[in-house]
Amino acid sequence: MIRCKPLLGTYVEISVNETSPQYSERIANHAMDQAFEVIELVQKLMGFHNPDSELSSINARSHIETLEVHEWTFKVLSAAKEIHTLSAGLFDCAVGAKLIRAGLLPNHKNTQTIECGDLSNLILIKPNKVRSDKPIQLDLGGIAKGFAVDKAVETLKANGIESGSVNAGGDLRVFGNISKEIQVRSPTNPNELIPIGALEEGSIASTGLYYSKSRDDMNKLSYIVNPLNMEHVEFNGSYSILAPECMYADALTKVFAISQNDSRPCFEHFSAQAIKITA
Amino acid sequence: MNWKPNPLLALTGIALVGAPIYAHAKIYVSAEQAQKLIFPNKQFTKTPLLLTDDVQDKMQSASSVSHPFKGDRVWKASDGNYFIVDEVVGKHEMITYAVGISPTGAVQGIEIMEYVESYGYEVADESWRKQFVGKTVEDPIKLKKDIENISGATLSSKHLTDGVKRIMVMYDLILKSKAK
Repeated sequence: MIRCKPLLGTYVEISVNETSPQYSERIANHAMDQAFEVIELVQKLMGFHNPDSELSSINARSHIETLEVHEWTFKVLSAAKEIHTLSAGLFDCAVGAKLIRAGLLPNHKNTQTIECGDLSNLILIKPNKVRSDKPIQLDLGGIAKGFAVDKAVETLKANGIESGSVNAGGDLRVFGNISKEIQVRSPTNPNELIPIGALEEGSIASTGLYYSKSRDDMNKLSYIVNPLNMEHVEFNGSYSILAPECMYADALTKVFAISQNDSRPCFEHFSAQAIKITA
Repeated sequence: MNWKPNPLLALTGIALVGAPIYAHAKIYVSAEQAQKLIFPNKQFTKTPLLLTDDVQDKMQSASSVSHPFKGDRVWKASDGNYFIVDEVVGKHEMITYAVGISPTGAVQGIEIMEYVESYGYEVADESWRKQFVGKTVEDPIKLKKDIENISGATLSSKHLTDGVKRIMVMYDLILKSKAK
């Protein structure tokens, strides 16, 4: 059975395998309801667009006071900092201010003139406290979706589902004793799908500028910003990362797209594999 | 993690030439299943609505969804819950979805029923769309259906948000007074 709901600004699909001997529709639906709820909670905590999210309070106040956050927010921020360090700064979700200026993210506070820090300015204090050395504008769009997928999978398993998959707008994870054929969109024609292989117990995420460069908004800037020079990165291909956990797959696609290098040391560190589809 | 790459795909990532797959469609749940998922154990009766041009105009200006709402897919439960099926058409996709509205006028749940995707403008074409409307799991459509796991797309759900917005405008104008 497959269900789909609009969440995280995209369409989230949850699929459970009906051939397992313990399968019952009631259990499956209950497990899927729980998994959708978990994704909704991630959205509520870490959505940039929502001015009441925890992320928005971090962006508004973490340079003024220490904030207590949900353990999931803390976990995502910890992973973000880890990837930031291991990628030598190529992954940095503190590029929010740049995206606001480009009109790609909403401006909740007037941040136009404030100089913002990067992820190294963010200080995490165990357990679950956050503050920042400098004003900061974090956009967790490039990592929280993968985290939501991981949490949804965890929830499905905890509710008795043995195998299935979760796909949040292209960030997907397959779990259990099934292998799934994976397609990646062609960067030149997003409706053309390229079969790239079969995945079992793993995740894939991809980055491309497909729909952001559609016919009527050719002038729109790329939503990928290189944190080292703060320039919008334009590219034609698509960059996919396979990794055991979707959160890392999601975040590492940015490192791959910005560096254009498929053998960065941090990929090996996270047991990740890089696949580029050329335009 | 167990990964078996497509042998045609050089792992260094030169795009392969293969048979491309075009427009694809997915059917998730039927109207009946969606109703049970949003409102378990409730009985609904079909209550078709005839909307005036004025109401259609108000729904459109509040939501930027331009095609008219079809009032024949509205169901009501005796306690004032509503279940409504509608479609939204984006530049690349057509989505049939169901919304449940509680007697207090809050969205109780949303389920996507069908998703048809195509690149290009045929999605906006009425005759192209007609071939999908009202199809069920038992009545499979001809397009590629076994596409399950696509990576590399973030189709925004904004159109759907607009669709739900127009349903809520319609609820306020017409159904709210009938819900009691």
